[in-house]
Amino acid sequence: MKKQSLYYIFLCIIILADISCTKIDNYPGPSSTLQGKVFDALTDSTVQTEYGGGGTRVKLLETSYSSNPTPEYFQCMQNGAFHDDKIFAATYNVSVEGAFVPVIQTDDTGKVLIDSSKNIVLKNTATVNFWVQPFLRIEWVGQPVFNPDSTVTVKIRITRGTDNPAYQGNVTDINLYVSNTANDGNNNYDPRYSNLHSYGGTSGNSLLGQVITITTTGGALPPQDIYFRVGARIASGLKRYNYNAVESIQYP
Amino acid sequence: MLNFNFLQSNSMKNNNLKYITVILGIFSLAACRNLDIPPKNIVQDADVFSTTAGIQAYMARLYSELPIEDFRYTPERGLNFFWLISPMSAVSGDALSRDQTHAQQENFGNWSWSVWSGCYGVIRDCNYFIETLPKYAKNFTTATVNDWIGEAYFVRGMTYFALAKRFGGVPIVTTVLNYPGETIDQLKIPRASEKATWDQIKSDLDSATLLLPVVNPDDNDGTRANKYVAAAFESRAMLYAGSIAKYNSITLFDAKNNEICGIPSTDANAYFLAAYNAAKMLDGKYSLYMKAWAANNPDAQYQNFVDLFSDPGGPENIFVREYQYPNSVHGYDAYNVPRQLAGPNGYSAEVNPTLNFVDMFDGIPKNPDGTIKTLDANGHYILYKNTMDLFANAEPRLRATVILPGDVFKGQQIQIWRGIYTGPVAGGISPLLPPGSKEQYPTANLVESATANQTPYTLPDGSLMNPAGASGIFTGDQTCAISGFSVRKWLDPNLPTSQVLENHESQTWIEMRYAEVLLNRAEAAFELYLAGQTGADYLDDAFNDINQIRLRAGAVLLTSPGSMTVDTIRIERRKELAFENKTWWDLRRWRILDKEQNGTIYKVLMPFYAAKAGEYFFDARYDERNDVYTFDPRWYYEQIPQSVISKNSNVIQNPGY
Repeated sequence: MKKQSLYYIFLCIIILADISCTKIDNYPGPSSTLQGKVFDALTDSTVQTEYGGGGTRVKLLETSYSSNPTPEYFQCMQNGAFHDDKIFAATYNVSVEGAFVPVIQTDDTGKVLIDSSKNIVLKNTATVNFWVQPFLRIEWVGQPVFNPDSTVTVKIRITRGTDNPAYQGNVTDINLYVSNTANDGNNNYDPRYSNLHSYGGTSGNSLLGQVITITTTGGALPPQDIYFRVGARIASGLKRYNYNAVESIQYP
Repeated sequence: MLNFNFLQSNSMKNNNLKYITVILGIFSLAACRNLDIPPKNIVQDADVFSTTAGIQAYMARLYSELPIEDFRYTPERGLNFFWLISPMSAVSGDALSRDQTHAQQENFGNWSWSVWSGCYGVIRDCNYFIETLPKYAKNFTTATVNDWIGEAYFVRGMTYFALAKRFGGVPIVTTVLNYPGETIDQLKIPRASEKATWDQIKSDLDSATLLLPVVNPDDNDGTRANKYVAAAFESRAMLYAGSIAKYNSITLFDAKNNEICGIPSTDANAYFLAAYNAAKMLDGKYSLYMKAWAANNPDAQYQNFVDLFSDPGGPENIFVREYQYPNSVHGYDAYNVPRQLAGPNGYSAEVNPTLNFVDMFDGIPKNPDGTIKTLDANGHYILYKNTMDLFANAEPRLRATVILPGDVFKGQQIQIWRGIYTGPVAGGISPLLPPGSKEQYPTANLVESATANQTPYTLPDGSLMNPAGASGIFTGDQTCAISGFSVRKWLDPNLPTSQVLENHESQTWIEMRYAEVLLNRAEAAFELYLAGQTGADYLDDAFNDINQIRLRAGAVLLTSPGSMTVDTIRIERRKELAFENKTWWDLRRWRILDKEQNGTIYKVLMPFYAAKAGEYFFDARYDERNDVYTFDPRWYYEQIPQSVISKNSNVIQNPGY
């Protein structure tokens, strides 16, 4: 009997010991919000971009615990606003990356020339806005016009957004994107009707400041919701696109 | 159990003490034996490094893991993986494939062989070999030891090359790292500058060139390195580095201002010169394959170019990877034979060369803008008795690279046509679609077939004809020549259809052949000429190199050095090395892939049979699937796997990821 009860005691001790190893991760989930907008420094309108990896993104460096943190990113919305409500409350260095003069400018040896990134202590909600110089500024000139042959013609004007010669590469592409959703851009368009144009050398630069007229290709547009947008880019590192705002037109 | 007995029986205490003493005594005697001996069940250094057979086993592993894009590689599924769908040529735009619908970067998350840890595993094996073999050098002659060390340098240089062309600067490790001998912090090695990484590749391949003999004494069939193999790859690697220095515009600096992506443009000429000198070392050591070649004989020149890829003793083969059934196999033919010759696995026609690719070749009727001419002066289709008539004077190299509609392969005419046009033919046939249209073909006046199960159509003369050729093109089934062409290069003309199986084939992969060395030399020379360098007559050198290639190919020779541009050399390279998994890397290092794949829909050539004329016509159009290829410029530097950064926080991610 004595032997058996000793076994039971050991068994209970082992079970208790094992149970005590269980921990509940009761650290609260990320619940702070970081929001803001990326503005064109000249016009105060937001810098339009595309959805996904090719668009403007927000870069966070959590400096609370390390001087050399691994960066975290999240993407901007198409209209140049950003909003993330699942961020840990902490100290951050915030900057944005996209088709504009970099917030942190370096020379060709990596030396930082200008650093306009922002350091914030995030608790609950923080609003951080950036004023940047887009590489190209694309404006609608009037509304898209529905032609008798069911194509659509748009007029736009493209100007440089910066005087800094280091960010005035040649204009390489001016594209009219046509899509059946408002998520229109270089990563999502209908290739049958979109009108893409590439320019070699300096030939694209002469179009700057002019009213540019572009008509959809591929014949009559199908009778459905259609969204239009012009994207243009210059030769620069990652060759990101600048855009104008998405416009829709009613099929008559 | 024993313990409980002790507690229970006090009366036996004395006896137990005796036993305990004896047992402890026995244990302490046994403890005098030295247990710190090498484990008997693990192969020791002495076992491996003391014998030739041990070294050969070590080498077999190094070479089998050498990261080259061979018959078992696709960007989607990685290195050393059998499944060849989503082939590389359909990512680079030389071909269309039913399983590849867009441009892409290498999809490391899907690779079974991890590119980063795999490469660093090979590098560690090389470092271990270079450090350990000298301790056992007394067993061998000095020449043998040098040869083997040279091979380890060769493999290490090649492996750094595989990393650098994907990621830019990477951590450089040239000694065996030990854990726990070194702390985790010491092992968190940051990325070196991209320049330092390419210089490491140069240094390794230079060491290999210096140490290796002219002939590899262990295997002289091109499967293992010799002096010239190392030099040939140095010409490839240095051309890559020079191109990055000259054409790259994406830069990334670390906190200490090391340029881990990008090389200062002032270094370009030094790299081009290194490529040129390395390529020149092979002068007279290897030569272009000309065994079946005859002047002014297109058929002989065609056969010669076909034979080049299947002759194991060819003088052009510099470095190859051999396969052997059933130990190491691939399935190139199974995936790529034309539809009518499909093997028992049911695959076929995964690689269908685009019209954009075919347009690059000589000997086909062209419009002034260089595109294929299919319309007469009145804008009507030109009619041909047979589909091959359009290609009657095509460059022999084109026929040896691409199966053209109606050409003969394995004794069969490969039938490729898109449909039967039943409309009127009097006065000429107008194009089915407006120029540049991306619409589907109108169904009026057109008989087509959705699959290979065809219903024959009765022609005006009462005879029957299938709406589509036996190898396509079918409207509802992409297991056919969707571009109007099927790939020819590498296919084994003697392989019986019953043997056209996955994991069953063993053609040799030629990773480096003399034609590439000539092209490397021509490109490096031309870049040096453009940069105003005067060390040699670079322009003339480039001219002669290209004309050697063109002569063998049966192409039109260049008339004067002055007529050359950088595109002359690049297009020659694309034609010569197509479907050898090189073009994509070339387009990347020239940094033109984002221009070439910029909302691009590739072009195809659709043959039709005009029933009332009894003749064929061709329609050049955009890929009917409207698949758009857009190369994101950030892909020039691939994304470093997140797991690497998690393990080593000193590794900085490439721009844009």
